[in-house]
Amino acid sequence: MGSFSEGIDVVSSPEGELLQLCWRGAHYAIEPHPLCWYERRSWWESESRVPPGEGAGIVDLQMWRLQLRREGTPGCLTLDVVHYLPGGQWRVIKIHDAVDEVFWPEELADGA
Amino acid sequence: MRNFVHLHSSSAFSAHFGVSWPEELAQVAAVDGDALAVTDRDGLYGAVKHVKACMAAGIDPIIGVDLAVVEDGPGGPVAAGRVVVLAHGGTFLPPGTGYAALCRLVSAAHAGTPVGLTLDQLAAGVLDPESGKPALTVLLGPASPVGRSLHGRKYLLPRTKFLQWHKAMPDGAMVVEIASHLSAPGAPLSTAHAVRMLKLAQEFNVPAVLSNAARYAHAEDAPTADVLDAARNVMPLGELHELQPTGQAWLKSAAQMRAVAKEIVYQGGYGNAELSQLWANTAQLADKCRLDPAADLGWKQPATPEMDVLGLTGTAGVELRQRSEAGLVQRFGNLSGTKLLTVRNRLETELATIGGLGFESYFLTVAEVSDMIRTMGVRRAARGSGASSLVNYLLGISAVDPIANDLLFERFLSADRSTLPDIDLDVESAERHNVYRGIFERFGPKRVTLMSMQNSYRARGAVRDAGMALGMDRGDIDQIAKQLWRFSAGSFREALEEKPELRDLAAQVRDSRHADGGGQLDLLVDLTERLDSLPRHISMHPCGVILGDSGLLNRTPVQPSGMGLPMSQFDKHDMDAMGMLKLDVLGVRMQSAMAYAVREIIRLHPTREAVAEEGGHAPDAPFITEGGGIDLDAVPFDDEPTFELIRSTHTLGCFQIESPGQRELVGKMAPAEFSDLIIDISLFRPGPMKSNMVKPFLENRAGFSPAHYAHPDLIPVLEETHGVTVFHEQVLRTLSTMTGCTLSRADEFRRGLGNPSAEPAVEKYFRAKAAGNGYSQAVIEEVWGTLAAFGSFGFCKAHGAAFAVPTYQSAWLKAHHPAEFMAGLWEHDPGMYPLRLIVAEARRMGIPILPLDINASGGQYRAERTAANVTGIRMSLAGVYGLSGTELKRILAGQPYGSLAELRDRGRLSRPILKRLAQLGALDSLHRRAQQRTGNTANRADLIAHVNSLPAHKANKRNEPISGQLALPMEDVELGALAARHPAAGLAETVRTELDLLSVDVSGHLMESYAPLLDRLGVSRAEQLLGLRNNTEILVAGVRVATQTPPMRGGKRVVFISIDDGTGCVDATFFSEAQEKSGPLLFGTRMLLIRGLTRRTGPRGITVQALEAWDLQDLDMNSLPGSLLGALPEMRPEPVPDMEPNMRPGSLAGSPSEALPEPPCWPVHRHADIIEEAHSNPRMLLGHGAAQDKSRS
Repeated sequence: MGSFSEGIDVVSSPEGELLQLCWRGAHYAIEPHPLCWYERRSWWESESRVPPGEGAGIVDLQMWRLQLRREGTPGCLTLDVVHYLPGGQWRVIKIHDAVDEVFWPEELADGA
Repeated sequence: MRNFVHLHSSSAFSAHFGVSWPEELAQVAAVDGDALAVTDRDGLYGAVKHVKACMAAGIDPIIGVDLAVVEDGPGGPVAAGRVVVLAHGGTFLPPGTGYAALCRLVSAAHAGTPVGLTLDQLAAGVLDPESGKPALTVLLGPASPVGRSLHGRKYLLPRTKFLQWHKAMPDGAMVVEIASHLSAPGAPLSTAHAVRMLKLAQEFNVPAVLSNAARYAHAEDAPTADVLDAARNVMPLGELHELQPTGQAWLKSAAQMRAVAKEIVYQGGYGNAELSQLWANTAQLADKCRLDPAADLGWKQPATPEMDVLGLTGTAGVELRQRSEAGLVQRFGNLSGTKLLTVRNRLETELATIGGLGFESYFLTVAEVSDMIRTMGVRRAARGSGASSLVNYLLGISAVDPIANDLLFERFLSADRSTLPDIDLDVESAERHNVYRGIFERFGPKRVTLMSMQNSYRARGAVRDAGMALGMDRGDIDQIAKQLWRFSAGSFREALEEKPELRDLAAQVRDSRHADGGGQLDLLVDLTERLDSLPRHISMHPCGVILGDSGLLNRTPVQPSGMGLPMSQFDKHDMDAMGMLKLDVLGVRMQSAMAYAVREIIRLHPTREAVAEEGGHAPDAPFITEGGGIDLDAVPFDDEPTFELIRSTHTLGCFQIESPGQRELVGKMAPAEFSDLIIDISLFRPGPMKSNMVKPFLENRAGFSPAHYAHPDLIPVLEETHGVTVFHEQVLRTLSTMTGCTLSRADEFRRGLGNPSAEPAVEKYFRAKAAGNGYSQAVIEEVWGTLAAFGSFGFCKAHGAAFAVPTYQSAWLKAHHPAEFMAGLWEHDPGMYPLRLIVAEARRMGIPILPLDINASGGQYRAERTAANVTGIRMSLAGVYGLSGTELKRILAGQPYGSLAELRDRGRLSRPILKRLAQLGALDSLHRRAQQRTGNTANRADLIAHVNSLPAHKANKRNEPISGQLALPMEDVELGALAARHPAAGLAETVRTELDLLSVDVSGHLMESYAPLLDRLGVSRAEQLLGLRNNTEILVAGVRVATQTPPMRGGKRVVFISIDDGTGCVDATFFSEAQEKSGPLLFGTRMLLIRGLTRRTGPRGITVQALEAWDLQDLDMNSLPGSLLGALPEMRPEPVPDMEPNMRPGSLAGSPSEALPEPPCWPVHRHADIIEEAHSNPRMLLGHGAAQDKSRS
């Protein structure tokens, strides 16, 4: 596992469903129902202007946890990517070593 | 995707929480929804505005509250979470039931501390007491005690809590609210959190609804919510844990909400059935809660106290007629023939109009309140357009005769007018709270509540909170806040570029962009602008009292006000919509000051003869009672000394005519009778100023140019003001004369003037009808020009007449009983100026100012007969800085004191207070008495040193005399033996001490010690200015007493600074160039030296157009600023002693009146119009901004 930042390309369906991801020259299919959430940013440290009427996407970052499969390769790769809005760029910020490290099934199993 | 109804959304009226205004929210909701709920925090603060906004946007309003839930904690009740409570509409219950239950529930939540309700109170409050059915629905959501218990990974706790709620709440009164702000899995408001809530709902078979717990209309408002979170918690953003978890709390579209719902359902392992169910439940609850403004809220339906409360048995109409008839006999008993017929016809017209509108009980209610105040012995006066009504005059509500003063009823009330009339009552400010309590007692607490007002972010508050959020240094922020001077926070960036006094700050902002971590000041400016005008809290309105029937508290929620009486959560903008009758009972300090003056006159002169002699009245003057009392309201309006005083422009302290602009105007206008005062007050308004009416009026009045009338038909209408349109009444008559319309129709037209959407129709009607009536195009053109310029401003003559009464009365008191009147001003501080200026005015008038004295001074400023048999004013102990109320009471209870020891024993004062009293000379009389016996030569400085060396007072019961034991009359050995060691303080030091500890220069004027410097510089004194030629370059100096920056039509700012030099006030005007030159000096400096040009404004008026200013305290005779040196005509070697003021070099010889170099006309000056416009601004008139100087000094 590692944390870093790397540019990627993501292909979506017209309905907005994420389909395919291109990373380090390879193409991956994205498993359906990826997890999406938002993380706060300390915008007051990074921004120098937030005039009234602007500032959508300043308070939080759109995060995705994607399960990827590559044709001809067994198993599944899990990536955390950030989607910068309103610009639309994607970057990888975390590569998970194994599926069991992914927290959401555990979260949901508990107490729910 | 159509129609998702947001059931949980806060408006900006959720103070320090909601971001968007109801109009924004309703517009966004209307895009793909047909209803919207407003759920403000702990109140219905934005509810009425929300209903208005929904009606405008064409969607159904829903009203609810986001209410704190209280649970028992170890140390008493604590807030344990929040739930949303929505009012049901009239579909399943009698209309209004749900809304009434919500009002009562919110009021109940404010009855305790902390604000909120327990589960049991909620469960009881949701039911309609009549039918026993739920009238409200509680939404148990993520912030509820149940929702909060889901954060830990516990299984049992949330279920126990849920069960508790499920059992306690009546069937059908509770749903589960599912909301996700898509925060990180596991965090509050995450989808996982929503899933857990949904599972609980499924498990216990309680319907679940979807919301977005919205706080703002648009995604880009999210940063503002962060800043509000910081402000609410008083903590910088970087240290705050309670920040919104994400920026997703906007009013999302139906499609966006569908996506959120899908995600929740998917993650919960559910399918389409559950998704549809969630969606349908939400729509169903929305339908249940749609409100009909008319049926549910009583929209625009007035309610007044019931007849039996007013003590009436007959109908209101019959009662009103009977009382009016009785008043007719009393007020007009001596009239007959056509004159009486005129009055009668007027009465019939008024009664018909009032009856037609159903307002009889309103008039009776106001009359009841007015009468109640009279029986309390409190001075009262009707103000505003209510004075136009004969019925008000006959009922005793108003003291102005509308027939004699030619006031039009149609200006006040007409069948063409849909809004409720305003009848305002002025009462003594010191008695205002007692009057409120009286009204509550008279009508019962279920029919009365005070009105509230919203306090909103302005520039200084906004910059402080924005700076705090950014974690900036408190001192730095204070420095910035102090520089912000009267502009809205929303135009901060613009102000930075334009205003000279912000030059330094603007440079700082620019520099910060290049500094490490750059741009923080830029961010500060943006955040300040974001906070602009957002509500911060509500408080008691200064005068509004709401009167209704016994159902009032079902129509407005109430909460405790600062004075303890309940206040409505609605403000003045909500009154008309809710059909609430608001009575303005305004505390007027001048009324208190005048009542005080009259009491002081009686105290010193307890017989009719004594009062008549002292005041120069006829011995049989009808307004003096046998015991020496003065009935101010009976004083005739034709007293020559009163008008002489007004014409002298020495009107400081007089109601309405003390501001610099008004002093200038009365100097020009020279009022000679009461109607002149009405015109003066009415002229001093934006309308007449804007339509350039003042100059022609004054010239016509003075006879320099003949009065001009556009058409002879208008002569009767405009004669009293020499052809110039001054009053609303004249606009009505002009319209009626030329078009033939009724006066009430004309008033509707008048309201359309200045309103871009209505004015074209008025113009079209006027032109067509006037042409039809045979008026020429030229006449029509000219008259329309006047009407259009007049706009909707101008002044109602009835207002002017109502205002002119206290203006005249205060001037009368100042002319005849100056010392008592000034004492009243000192005691009640009614005006725009700091107390020290009013004291200086008394000094100028030759009234002895009697120093503080431990035996002679009381807790009030009192008129006192001196040994020389003149009336002076004794300083009050209440003015001593830091003296507490209890200490004051002890001093007063122990008076008189024979020695310092007695004062120590009985007064039990702290050492600092004793020292202050010594510094202020309050102990001098004790000292003198001891000195007379012993010949001791110590001075006040020695006394202070002695007091300061005393051991601190010990509160020891054993040292106190046994009660009943008489103090032994002993000589003051202590003071008699004081060692004379210290040099006596000079006048300058004494005055400085007085200013520090009393805020007043008592022993002499603050400027006196500057006299040598001023003489060497050749500075002119205020009293000399009138003798100077127009356009003379001079230096003036003095203490700042008022600073005003009225908004100007041209957008260019003008700063008006008044200074006082002990001989009077100098009013200086700073235009852009002078502002540039003076820079930061403009606002912060207390003592100013100003170079400028005289500008003659009339026979008794002169002001100074400033060219440059310096801080007087910084001037050093040996190193004067180069710019000042250049301005000095010649350095005067030594002042010539005893020279007549107007004999000084540079001024003209002779008395001021002979010295007038020009005929008494007012030369056209390039800035004259700007000054007049500025002076006519209500902010200037009312002395706004002067308060700032007041608090500073």
